[in-house]
Amino acid sequence: MEGLSNLLEKYFSIGIIWEILPYLLKGALFTVIFSASSEIIGIIIGLVTAMIRTSKIKVLNQLAIIYVDLFRGTPLLMQIIFVYYALPYVGINLPAPLAGIVALSVNSGAYVTEIFRAGIDSIDKGQIEAARSLGMSYAKTMRYIIIPQTFKRVLPPLTNEFVALIKDSSLLSVIAISELLRTAKEMMTWKLNPSSLTAAAILYLVITLPLTRLVSHMENRLKKSDAH
Amino acid sequence: MIKIVDLHKKFGDLHVLKGINLNVNKGEVMVILGPSGSGKSTLLRSINLLEVPTSGQIFFDGVDITGKKIDRNRVRQRIGMVFQGFNLFPHMTVLGNVTLALLKVLKIKKEEAVKIGTDLLIRVGLKDKINGYPNQLSGGQKQRVAIARALAMNPEVMLFDEVTSALDPELVKEVLDVMKDLAKSGMTMLVVTHEMGFAKEVGSHVIFMDEGLIVEEGLAQDIFENPKHPRTKAFLDAVLY
Repeated sequence: MEGLSNLLEKYFSIGIIWEILPYLLKGALFTVIFSASSEIIGIIIGLVTAMIRTSKIKVLNQLAIIYVDLFRGTPLLMQIIFVYYALPYVGINLPAPLAGIVALSVNSGAYVTEIFRAGIDSIDKGQIEAARSLGMSYAKTMRYIIIPQTFKRVLPPLTNEFVALIKDSSLLSVIAISELLRTAKEMMTWKLNPSSLTAAAILYLVITLPLTRLVSHMENRLKKSDAH
Repeated sequence: MIKIVDLHKKFGDLHVLKGINLNVNKGEVMVILGPSGSGKSTLLRSINLLEVPTSGQIFFDGVDITGKKIDRNRVRQRIGMVFQGFNLFPHMTVLGNVTLALLKVLKIKKEEAVKIGTDLLIRVGLKDKINGYPNQLSGGQKQRVAIARALAMNPEVMLFDEVTSALDPELVKEVLDVMKDLAKSGMTMLVVTHEMGFAKEVGSHVIFMDEGLIVEEGLAQDIFENPKHPRTKAFLDAVLY
């Protein structure tokens, strides 16, 4: 019984959580801002790279493969450190928030590339042929026929990727960005009590749960519309 | 109108077209017969440049469209194609399917495109489906939309690649009727089909292909009544019972 009350006092101290909540909310806001802006940029990067991957331009295609392999095959933490601490040596001095967004975007772009590539590949080749046979260029075929159909299919995996990115943005704490997890750790040292971590976990769930629910909802709808 | 000279197509080691020579004049309905794997579809797709020939030339109105400097999109605008699998755009309405290329390729004004699209859909008997989506249509209806979509570009030639093969038997006629009307209106057509009744009734010319070559060609009537080549005879015997 004593163990339980110790646990409650250490990790679920309502008083402390209440006191530090404003700081945590601010951290949560940073987490959302950093991950959302990185996701948007990542989608743009991923969309362009996926189109290069599915086109027939050999050199660009190879570069795209190298990019995806590089950023999916190494730890994000390492990438963040490189962007912030190594790039200044080649004259690229990014302030921490910008370095954070660059690292997250480029990393997320690599994953999004593969999501879009799979999406584009899943569209029946007959769609491209029908569009081309009407005299539409490759670019117009992509824009009006392939990408709109791809978006519908990639929305669930893209949202999953976003959820992963929200959690991964906690790694930005290494370059002193006060997102949710770093704020919680600071509060823990300040209050000498780790209840802030519990509160942060709950806040992560508040952000991610609606998204994961949205994914299952979208997947159900997709199943229905594909059943026709 | 279309003149094909010594056309070859290889897919890796597979030699699909082994030297096709063919003339199609304006207003002709050329029916392409032959067993599967004989290269019929590849020939049709080459004319629309969906397949790039390995060697040989295809002249369209006297211009070699296999040339490097040819604007393929321009060529395709003048050649309509209908596919076995319909290939309608599922995210667009029926009218949207028909007007898309008018709006985005020819850049025609919206009202005008809608008028052209509506007229064509009336012509293929689908006036009441205009605002529906492809997944609400039967196979026969889908294929009629696909024909209307190809016609919207006002093509000079129409290519039909086994357009009734994926349809339930009772839906075949409605599609063939549309094609028959089109033939009557003077459209130049190349039709790959297994519908012998249609070929006999509507076809002006027939070519019979086997193993990548045209083994027999002539007026539809002659070929059906008096096939010369043993392969043609055997094929017609088999499909006509």
